[in-house]
Amino acid sequence: MPEFSKQLERLEAIVRRLEAEDLDLDEALKLFEEGVERLRVAREQLTQAELKVKKVLEIESPS
Amino acid sequence: MGQPIDLFAAASTEGAWTVGEVTRRARTVIEAGLPPLWVRGEIAGFKAWRSGHWYFSLRDTSAQLRCVMFAKQNFMLQAPTDGMQVFVFARPTLYEEKGDFQLTVLELLSTEQGGLWKLAFEKAKAALTKDGLLDPARKRRLPPFPRRIAVVTSPDGAALRDIEAVVARRWPIAELIVVPAQVQGAKAEASVCSALNRISRLPVDVVLLARGGGSVEDLWAFNSERVARAVAAMPMPVISAIGHETDVTLCDLVADLRAPTPSAAAEAATPDRAEVIAQCAVLGQRLARALRTASRHVVERLDRAGDRLIRGMDNRLEKSRALLTAHSARLDALSPLKVLGRGYAVARDEHGTILKRVAQLPSGKEFRLRVTDGEVDARVQ
Repeated sequence: MPEFSKQLERLEAIVRRLEAEDLDLDEALKLFEEGVERLRVAREQLTQAELKVKKVLEIESPS
Repeated sequence: MGQPIDLFAAASTEGAWTVGEVTRRARTVIEAGLPPLWVRGEIAGFKAWRSGHWYFSLRDTSAQLRCVMFAKQNFMLQAPTDGMQVFVFARPTLYEEKGDFQLTVLELLSTEQGGLWKLAFEKAKAALTKDGLLDPARKRRLPPFPRRIAVVTSPDGAALRDIEAVVARRWPIAELIVVPAQVQGAKAEASVCSALNRISRLPVDVVLLARGGGSVEDLWAFNSERVARAVAAMPMPVISAIGHETDVTLCDLVADLRAPTPSAAAEAATPDRAEVIAQCAVLGQRLARALRTASRHVVERLDRAGDRLIRGMDNRLEKSRALLTAHSARLDALSPLKVLGRGYAVARDEHGTILKRVAQLPSGKEFRLRVTDGEVDARVQ
């Protein structure tokens, strides 16, 4: 699962680019599709997550 | 006259008190009648035992009181010296084994420096200041969307439960890494330092250093210079939630953010999921709108191109039409009917072959002659 903040940053960059630049339709569509996909993943992360609590000893056990 | 006292009966096994009964009763009376109080006096006969307990007397010009301060209360203090004027906050009691009236000292402040505890605090603070660790410019920004949040606190305390509840509600995307530590007592300093040290090697975005309340003396670990330096050395931001409104600890000063409670620390460390979902919805709308705008631009461009195409075609058609008119005029001029109209005639044989030469027209040859309004039969004479 990609890091949430990276996901959101990329999404914002896509929206800004799509808003600001005069892109040809092909490129605009490609950006839009990526934006929609990232939005879907972000929403999924936001709505499906359940807090994980780890005691540090679990982390320290040899894996 | 009252009854004479029966001395022998009072001194019997049933009538007399035991030593233990008297001291226990006296202790109960003293403890019930004298709640913990502040006492001012001069230190005399100070002695620190190997156990860490301190024994001394408090005196003024007319009286003196025996005092004991146990290690668990004094371990954060520098030892006072005889002759020092102090305030103690103490519980009057009776030490039954010796039958001594004494004070169990809970806090000790020297009147000169505003307390030994304060003295140690100021000394450590000066050292931290000298090394630039209290510089506000050192304070780091908290990560907006933390992935891993480490918590250093007592594993069974209310602080951990509060933090868990807040993070679970606000930002369950995060992983909570709990590093249990002793936050009170003599071992707290080493325990907190080792917990911080462990976390510093983990991929953690933010650390909460929390304590679920308690008395002022329990703050000691968070006023330790060693712990403060460990906090300052953390590679990621640290939020302190020591839970004491009035006393700012050294850890609070060094931490990147000071929160009043563990719950407040958890709130500061996390974004609100509902707000982020709303933010995503806005981004989604902007995305859709941006695509609509982008495609409208393309459609407009296509429209303009179409217009040009049609205009171009119109021009071409116009030209073609003119050309056609010219051509048909010329064709019209060349039409054989026009020629016949001018008085010429065409001779053709019975097969329709045009007879143009004398050799084709021997004497007596029959042929047909086409003039402008019809045909007639003819014969060569």
